[in-house]
Order: sequence, then C-alpha cells, then structure tokens
Amino acid sequence: MTTYTICIFTGNTIGLLNRITIIFTRRRINIESLTVSETERHGVSRFTIVIKHESRDEVEKIVRQIRKIVEVLAVFGYLNDEIVYNEIALFKISTPLGSKPLDVETINKHHKAWVVYWGLDYVVIEKTGNETDIFAFFDYLRQYEILEFVRSGRVAVGKTEKGLVEYLPEADWAYTL
Amino acid sequence: MQAISVMPELESTVEPQEVMVPPQLLSGSQALMESLVAEGVDTIFGYPGGAIMPVYDALYDFQEQINHILVRHEQGAGHAAQGYARMQGRAGVCLVTSGPGATNLVTAIADAQIDSTPLVCIVGQVAKKLLGTDAFQEADVMGVTMPITKWNYQITSADEVPEIIAKAFYIAQAGRPGPVLIDMTKSAQIELMTRPYVYEKCQNIISYRPRLAPKMEQLEAAAKLINEAKRPYIFAGHGVQISKAETDLLAFAEKTGIPVATTLLGQSTIPTNHPNHVGWLGMHGNYGPNVLTDQADVIIAIGMRFDDRVTGDASKFIRQAKVVHIEIDPSEIDKIIKAHAPVVGDAKEVLKALLPLVDKNDHTIWRNEFRKYDLIENETITTPELSGDTEKIKMAEVIDLLSRKTNGEAVLVTDVGQHQMMASRYYQFRRKNSLVTSGGMGTMGFALPAAFGAQVAAPDRQVVAIIGDGCFQMTLQELGTIVQNKQPVKAIILNNNFLGMVRQWQQLFHSRRYSFVELQNPNFVMIAKGFGMEGHTCNERKTLSDSLDQMLAHDGPYLLEVIVEKEENVFPMVPAGASVAQIRLK
Repeated sequence: MTTYTICIFTGNTIGLLNRITIIFTRRRINIESLTVSETERHGVSRFTIVIKHESRDEVEKIVRQIRKIVEVLAVFGYLNDEIVYNEIALFKISTPLGSKPLDVETINKHHKAWVVYWGLDYVVIEKTGNETDIFAFFDYLRQYEILEFVRSGRVAVGKTEKGLVEYLPEADWAYTL
Repeated sequence: MQAISVMPELESTVEPQEVMVPPQLLSGSQALMESLVAEGVDTIFGYPGGAIMPVYDALYDFQEQINHILVRHEQGAGHAAQGYARMQGRAGVCLVTSGPGATNLVTAIADAQIDSTPLVCIVGQVAKKLLGTDAFQEADVMGVTMPITKWNYQITSADEVPEIIAKAFYIAQAGRPGPVLIDMTKSAQIELMTRPYVYEKCQNIISYRPRLAPKMEQLEAAAKLINEAKRPYIFAGHGVQISKAETDLLAFAEKTGIPVATTLLGQSTIPTNHPNHVGWLGMHGNYGPNVLTDQADVIIAIGMRFDDRVTGDASKFIRQAKVVHIEIDPSEIDKIIKAHAPVVGDAKEVLKALLPLVDKNDHTIWRNEFRKYDLIENETITTPELSGDTEKIKMAEVIDLLSRKTNGEAVLVTDVGQHQMMASRYYQFRRKNSLVTSGGMGTMGFALPAAFGAQVAAPDRQVVAIIGDGCFQMTLQELGTIVQNKQPVKAIILNNNFLGMVRQWQQLFHSRRYSFVELQNPNFVMIAKGFGMEGHTCNERKTLSDSLDQMLAHDGPYLLEVIVEKEENVFPMVPAGASVAQIRLK
C-alpha cells in the first residue's frame, strides 16, 4: 500500500465535500485523513485527502473522477516525496500532584513539542510533524497517562516553484485577506 | 401520493396574492418560468404537489409558451424527458414536488446519468426554515441525487433563480451531457426577488470547461496509428449521436475504408446497410464484430466507454490492439481500456479535424473477414429465427417485419431485456437518431414513457415502442398520458409471459431452475382500451403482417400485443464475465 495525498482545489459551495467523498466511498477506499480550508485566493477551497492504495492507475482514475466534478478547479495526486507535509497533534497528559514530573527538556529539544496549556492537574502538549514523528512522541509519552490524543489531517504543499494560481483556470484570483 | 397536506402549512402565512407586488419584481416561481422560456423550453413533463404549487400557479400564466404535460407517475416524467432529450439533442425538463415526487424521479435521473442524457429536473422542497425538520414531504433530495447527477443545487432565495437555471442548462448540455437537479424551497418559490429580473445565458463556468476542439498532437498521434494500421476497426458509440457526428463518421469511414461496429447506443449512427457497417458489439451483438475484436491491430473507439457488456472480461479484450480513444470526458480515458492515442474532444470536432490527416485507404479484404462470420451467424441464428417454422411467432420475425414495413426509418424505443436485444439485432436502421433505449442502467419500464417523450419531441417521425410484458407492467399508467395528449405512439408488446432475459440466464446458467420469472399477465388490450387507446392481440403468424399494417396505419396511439414463443433465447451471447472470444451461438 502506498500513501497518496490528493489535493483538490474547488469553489466554495455547500455539499461539495459530500460529492468528493462519494467518489471514495463508491470505490470502497478509506480516507485516512481529510483537511479543508480556504486557500490564499478568495473563493478557492483546498481539500487535502490522504489515502492508501496499491495501484497508481486506480489513484489516477480517482483523480480524474474528482476533476470531473463541476465545481472542482484542479486536482493533484502526490506521493510523499513530492510534497512538504505536516500534521498537528495534541496530547492531554495527566499530571496530578505526586505523579512523575514531565521532562520538558526532552519534550522540547528531542521531540520538538511544546506544552501549550497548563491545567490544574493536566497539561496539553502540541506536536507537529509527520505520522512517524507524532507516533514516536506518542510512544515516548506512554510513560505518562495520556488522557486524550488527537491528530489533525495532513496539510501539504507540492515541491514545485509554481504557485496555486498557475494551476487555476485563468481569472482574477484575489488574495483572501 | 403527492396529496396536499390537510394540515395548515406552517409557512403559508405569506401568499403571493396578498403581497403588494411592485410590477418589476418577480416571485421566485415567476422568475423560474421566465428563465425556462429564456432557455427556449417549450415542453415540461411534470406532476404537481404541495411543495411545488407556487411554481404550478406561475405556470398557469405561461401555458401559451410552455406545454406542460401531466404524466401519471414522476418516473414517467423522467423517462419522457429522456426520450424528448435524446430526440431533440437538448435538455428535457421535469417538474415535480418534494419528497416522494422527487424520489420517484430518481430511477430516471440515474438512467440519464449513465446514458449521458441532458435533463433539468426542478424539484419542490419544503420552506427554507423547515429544512432538516422532517417536515411533511421533506426528503434530502440533494443528498439522494448527489451521486447520480452531473450537478445539483438547492435554491433557497428567489434572487438565485435566473443565474442557477442558466447554469443548470449549461451544465446539463455542455460537454458530456447529464442530468442536473434543482431543489427549490417553497419559500424561494413564493418570495419576491429583491432586484429586477435579468436573464443571462450561461456561456461557461470557470471550473467546468469541457474541451471540444482536440489538441493537434493528439490528433497526429491518432492519425499515425490509423494510417499505419493493417486491420483498423471503429467502435462507434453514443457520443457520435450526442455530438451529431453521423455524417462525419461516414466521411471518415468511407475515406479510410475502416469497418464500423456500433455499441447498443451507437446503433443508427451509421445505416445498417452501409458497406462499412459490420454490425454491433457486445453481449448479444453480432458474431463477427465481437470475435474480430481479437484480430484488429488498431481500435478507434469514438464516444464510447468500454462498458462491460461490450468488453466481456476487460482483461482479455483487445489486448493485441493499439487503441485510439476519442472521448469528450477525460475520466473515461484509460478507465477500462488503456488508450495508446487518446483524443479528448467532441466526436464531431475530432472527426472533422482527423479527416484530412488520415490516408485514403481500402480495407476491403479486412472488411470481408466480417462477412465470413456473418454467413455463420446467418446460418445458425438469423435464418432459423426468421424461417417462420415454429408454432408461435418469434420476436425476431416481428422486428424484421416492422423494419421492412417502416423502411428502417422509425424511431425504435425499447425497454430492457430480450425484446430490446432482438429489436437491436433485427431492425435495419436507415436514419440517424433512431434508437432510444436504456443502455447503461437497463431500466425496465423505460420504453412507454420514453416513446411518448420521443414522439412529443419528433412529431414528424414514426415512433414505435418495443416492450416486454414484464416491462410494460412497470409504467403502463403512462398510457393515460399518451391518450390525453393524443400522441400517435405505437406500442408493441412482445408477450412471452416470462421475464425472458432472466429466464434465459436461469436456463443457461442455473440449470433451468426458473425462479420467479413466469408472469400471470392481465389482458393488455383491455387495459389499453380502458385508457381509451385502440389495440389488438396478434397470436398467429398469418395475421402478423396485417396486424402491423393496422397498427402503423392507425391515426393515433395504438397497442399491438404479439404473443411470441415462450422460451426463446437471444443469441449470440457472450456469457457474463467471459471473454468475447467465448461467444456462444447456441
């Protein structure tokens, strides 16, 4: 199984997420992660969908099926080495009085993670990185009680000097802000 | 089913007539009517109900411009609009209410999606503030139709109407056509626009710009393959008809001498008796056209999508050949069969552009290969089928005789099953755009309403529906629509008292374990007469010719029931999942 990151650029209309996910469910492909946000261009949304698949041909077909959706402006299917990508994870760690103290130095320096909230008897640690980094950190934190763990979907940009606008149909694409 | 609620409707405090209407501001419903007229819509197939009543009220004032046809069931509206669209080459329009009205349309929408038929379906919806509350006759029609429409949209304000309707027609008809559904809340139908109504036709959408003109490098690559080919072979599909490329196909085939086989939906894109025409492809297609796919060195697939009923086992289909795939929908390229020279574009534009690039050629020897197989097929199947030596009439005889009596110029509208395959096998098409059938979806009950819609769209053509006894009972209520609208549709029921194709499969592949395929049928002629439609039953071969004459000569709609052989099978046949080389002649 190879991991593919599919980046989809669309107009901003209700129901589009549904139209896109139907393409995966109909082919019984599990979505590993999904992130949606507005891009730097006004009215253009970006979907980042991570899937695992054994056939590149099939992934190419899926990309073409997504491109067929009327509101879709552009679609790219990437292998991991073609993108810069990251995720963010939050860990809620129990720190009641008398528990094993956190080794903040290791957390900061070795794992590049940060305590972003100090509760009365818990902390929230933020860690950004790829799946491997995040799970390595998870493994490290096992020595404490992990109350909650959440990962965001992947965000990714292609390793090319081109900007988004060069892939969009010709139009006056204003910045979002 | 679409009864108006006897409960007071929650949103009905504002009725349009109670509002002081400034003359220049239209209600959503009026804007919808104006928009339809602006799109050139002259016919709507529909069925009223609670959540679409404001639109029907507006329609009352547009009866001069728009012919609304009241069907008997919303599925009938959908198929009629499909028949209309296929004959006219532009979008058919349906108008139905929310909830069950919309869900009854679903089968026709799915059928239109897979057979690339342009439809604009306008569906009522509960008022905006009731959305998501399980209100009376509320169904999530957007959710239901999302996977089976080319595009769908929910209008929740009157101001959106002109722009969205313009978009709907553009999307339904541009590129590869398909069904569009517009879900319109009752509040948007009632409320007034906040600005003067202006209609602008949609010319393009930034995110949807189908390529019509092919790229030169793709054309050159295709031409090179075609010019070097020793045994090239054209597959002509529905796309040829959709892009009205029949004459271009002929010019191309005649210049290059390449044999042409059609898909089911490609039937009538080339006259059956044309020297380049070799037959049709697929599960019940002709012998030569199927088996010789294994000997072609270049396949030129035009506006077709390598359906599994054409390819059989796709992993064994045309492995030896290079493939030129001419197709407007890029997602079809490489979907089933790898294309060595894909040409993305409209079939007509591609064929026009390709014509000067291909060499004049003569593939008579190669074309004659097909004739050898024709002899075998004639000897083992066609001649015996038409010999008239059985006790009962055979389906093939009916179609063959009909073909001769109509000079191959009728529009055949068929349902789904054995009679559909027989119609396609034995009708000798002479005119383009002459077969309307449910190919991809295989929707039983398609023919009667679709034939009605086709007749409305093409009043100068003889429309004959070929229907099985099982299919007929799925949508027979549309006889009422045909009679009320005085459309001279001729319907032939080929009655074998069986769900014939399923029975055939059970005979061949399930050791004759006939599981729920025999029908106790009603008196079809009496049913037709009950609707006010003339008809009779033909039970004997010696009266078949007169029966067909009587039907064709009748002024008005007519139903002819022909009692046919109970257990006949359609051959040739490529068993499901087998390779085309394993085609069976018996």
